[in-house]
Formats: sequence, C-alpha cells, structure tokens
Amino acid sequence: MAHLSEGTLRRMVDDPDAHGADARHLETCQDCQARFKSVADDARSITSLLAAPALNVDVAAAFDRVRSAPTARPRFGFRLPVVRPGSRPMVLAFAGAVALVALLATAIAEGGNVFAPNTVTPVPVTVADMQALSELGAYGTFSWTTKPQLQVVTGAVEAASASGLRIPTVAKLPHGVSSTITYGAMTKAVAQFTFSADKAAAAAAQAGKPLPNMPAGMDGAQLTVTVGPAVAEIFGNLNAPASGSDVTQANLPQLVVAESSAPVASSQQVTVKQFVDYLLSQPGISPQLTAAIKGIGDPSTTLPIPIPVEYATSSSVDVQGVKGVALGDNTGVGAGVIWVKNGVVYAVAGTIKQSDAVDIANHLT
Amino acid sequence: MASTRSDDESFEALFRTEYARVAGIANRVLGDPHEAEDVAQEVFIDFHRLHSASAQYAPAWLHRAAAHAALNRLRGARRRQKRELAQASDENANIMDPQNQLEVNEDRRQVRRALARLAPKPAAVLVLRASGLSYAEVAQALGVGIGQVGTLLRRAESALRKEVTRGTSV
Repeated sequence: MAHLSEGTLRRMVDDPDAHGADARHLETCQDCQARFKSVADDARSITSLLAAPALNVDVAAAFDRVRSAPTARPRFGFRLPVVRPGSRPMVLAFAGAVALVALLATAIAEGGNVFAPNTVTPVPVTVADMQALSELGAYGTFSWTTKPQLQVVTGAVEAASASGLRIPTVAKLPHGVSSTITYGAMTKAVAQFTFSADKAAAAAAQAGKPLPNMPAGMDGAQLTVTVGPAVAEIFGNLNAPASGSDVTQANLPQLVVAESSAPVASSQQVTVKQFVDYLLSQPGISPQLTAAIKGIGDPSTTLPIPIPVEYATSSSVDVQGVKGVALGDNTGVGAGVIWVKNGVVYAVAGTIKQSDAVDIANHLT
Repeated sequence: MASTRSDDESFEALFRTEYARVAGIANRVLGDPHEAEDVAQEVFIDFHRLHSASAQYAPAWLHRAAAHAALNRLRGARRRQKRELAQASDENANIMDPQNQLEVNEDRRQVRRALARLAPKPAAVLVLRASGLSYAEVAQALGVGIGQVGTLLRRAESALRKEVTRGTSV
C-alpha cells in the first residue's frame, strides 16, 4: 500500500479511533508514523494559536436586537436563495425585475390571455425605480400558493430532475472562466399578491404623498403569478477567490447561464389594466418608467428586461435564430444576453465580453 | 400570511440553534467577543433578508458567512488599528498581571495578523474546524467534498504556520 497522504493523516489526527486500511497501514509503517506525529504536532500547535477569549452569549437579547433591526424583514415578501451579502444592488435589480415581469404579465392576462412572450425588450430603469418597485410589497400581502423550492444541487442530472427542464450545455468557455459549475434549481412556484387599501394608504402617508384615487374593487384585488421552473449554471470557483482579493467580489460568479419557463399571470376583482395602471401610479415610480412599460408594442409577446440606465447599454442581437437583447460591452467588466425561445427565457451573463456572451448563447446546446 | 409567520418562527428556531456557534466562529477569527457578536448579528440579518430560514443550506450558509464576514473585518485596516489600540489599553488596564498577559495578547495579535494574510478558503477552513465544526459541516459550509477537508486543513495549517513565522521574523 502506498504511504498515507498528508490529508488522510490530518483526518486521522481528528479521528484517532478510525479503523480500516489506513489505520492498519499506520500501525505498521514507521515512515507514516513519523509524518503522523509531525502532522499531529502541527495541528495541536495551530489549535492553541487559534485560542480565543471566552464568549458568553445571551441568545434571547441577541435575537431581540436582530429582530428589531430595520433590515431584518424581507422587502418584497420573499427571499432569494443564492445571492450573497454585499450584493444588495443585485437583490434590488432582481426584485425590480420580478415586479416588472409581474406587472407586464398582469397586463397581458387581461381578457384571459396567457402571457407567452417570444421576444424581449429592454426597459430602462433607475435605482430609484427599482427601489420603488420593490416597495410595492408595502401595498398588499404576498403569499405563496406554491412555494418555490430553491436548491443548490449536485449536478446537471439533479438540476434537470428538480426543475423538469433540459439543462443547457456551454460548448466552449471563454479564456479565464473556471469550468467549475454550481447548479441551482427552482421548482414552479405560484405567488399571490392581494392589494390592501389600508396598507397602501399607510405606505403613501409614510412617504408623505397622497394615495392616488383607487378604482372600485381595488381593495382586496388579487394577482396570481406563476414563475419557474428555472435552473442556473454558475461558473466559477465560488469557494476559492484569488488570494489577496476582496472576498465579496471574488465570490461573484464569472458566468451564469440561466433558463426559466416564461411567467404566467391572472387577476381577480378588477381588470388587469386597472391593477397595473394603479400600481404604476404609486408615489416613487417615475413617469419615465411608467411610460416605458406602457410603450411596449405588443405586450402579449414581449418580456421586459429592466436595464439600469446608468450601467448598461443594450442592443438587439440575433441569438439562436430569434431576437435577443445584449447588455454591457466588450471591456470584460460585465455583459449578458437574454432571449426567449419556445416559451423558455434564457440568459447568459457574467464578467465577460459581450461578444463572448453572444458566442456562448449561440452555441448553447 | 401563514407562510410569513411560519418563516419567522423558523428563523427564530434557526437563530436559537445557531447563534452561539456563528458568534463562536466570528470570535475565533477576531478574538474579540463584542465584535464577534456584531458580526454574528449582521450575518443573521443578511440571511433573513435574503433567504428562507427553512432552507436546508441555512446552517452551512451561516457558518461560511460568519467566517468570511469576520475575516473581512479582520482585514479592514482601520478596524484592525482600532482593535489594537483597544487591546493596548486593555494591556495597560491589566498591568497587575503583566508578563503573561502581554505574551498572550501578542500571540493572539500575531496569529490573527497571519490569519488575515491567508487566502480566504484556508483561513475559513481553519476557523471553522477550530470552532468545533465536524468535517461534514466544514465541507458543507465551504461547498467541498468531505474527503477534501483533511487535505485543506493540513495545507491551511502549514500556510498559517509559515505566516506566523514570517510575521515574527520580520
């Protein structure tokens, strides 16, 4: 038998009762015994170096402090699974994107039509717009009729089985992008938003603005949105940032390939147009954003993609034989492509050049 | 509404189960119980803002975030200077127990300076294991296979020893 590896010896230091082939080898191999002693001495000395002053926690008092922290409650009635601390703009962008999709999907549902987008269009948004959209949670109650099951899975097979989607394969990675993939999957979820006149009045009062005139039946009106299933392939060694770099930055993925069934929506009690018009008239949402959403040519087939106005330039590109939206530039700072094909929304984005993003998108199989 | 209440309850249960351990990880990094509790509470607030408390990955996420948040804080030059000043004044206050206390404080400072110089992953594996996490828990927190933990730990210990030696010889 070959000599034991340093890692095996280290594990045996922590598990002195281990038995099996490794333990039998150690019993008879003088060389490994000497190395074991050295590994054990190192381990002991590091443990003693890492000694820390005693910590006596008052869990109840700590919980009270956390519970009373203003940011402890979710802003939009739901939480995200994979976004890390320090990614607040991403969370805002995501909340804004979901709100926009919900609004548009709602608009489409008018007359009982099914929202089945086959193209995407960029809608410029400001950070203030996204914040205002994410605050729409203050105008009613979000609940999940079917909760999303979000999970990090072990591989493509499990991702496919958890989501029911076919997992896309990237033909060739750009230079410098790690081939380590983390797979995420989300099952289909159904969310309900129930508008509350009382909550809306309170939210408007807090913002120091009058509540716009409400259409009859708006109080208690319900919006039901179905999202997912979805999968994401996250490229990059998320656990091993470059030495000396900032941890938060280094943990950002280099490339994300995501795929989701298009959202579907319906409403009760008021027409969907009334619902959308009323939500878009709330204080804080800019007239420009309202105009941009209302200006979408054929909303029954168009998915709006919120683009922060100050960050990204967008252009129309051909992807997989359909029209998509390309974001970012060729500096490598960040770029992405989003398109819809056969009722599925695809996105490729990362700290890569736009030309690489388009190339990956076109060769996705 | 029911789902919101139930998530709040799950969060409280998660907090009660994991808080001491999360604060312990931060304390292992920072060597400062008060600052460690600050970090632990920030980690829970971030978690609650973004994640469901019933998520299976919740403990692993918290452990990893505690290690990284505390290491980030350790690396912050301003805070480090502040901490060292505070420790210096502690030493003055403890003048009745001079030599021993000075040596302990100096050792702690040195090892934490060395820890701050390590790459994030080895630093995290060291503090998570030193905080009493099992190999399986360390593996989950860092997203690696359990079979890799021994190797990562051994390499991290060698790296820390080198850094401590480098720190003392400079």
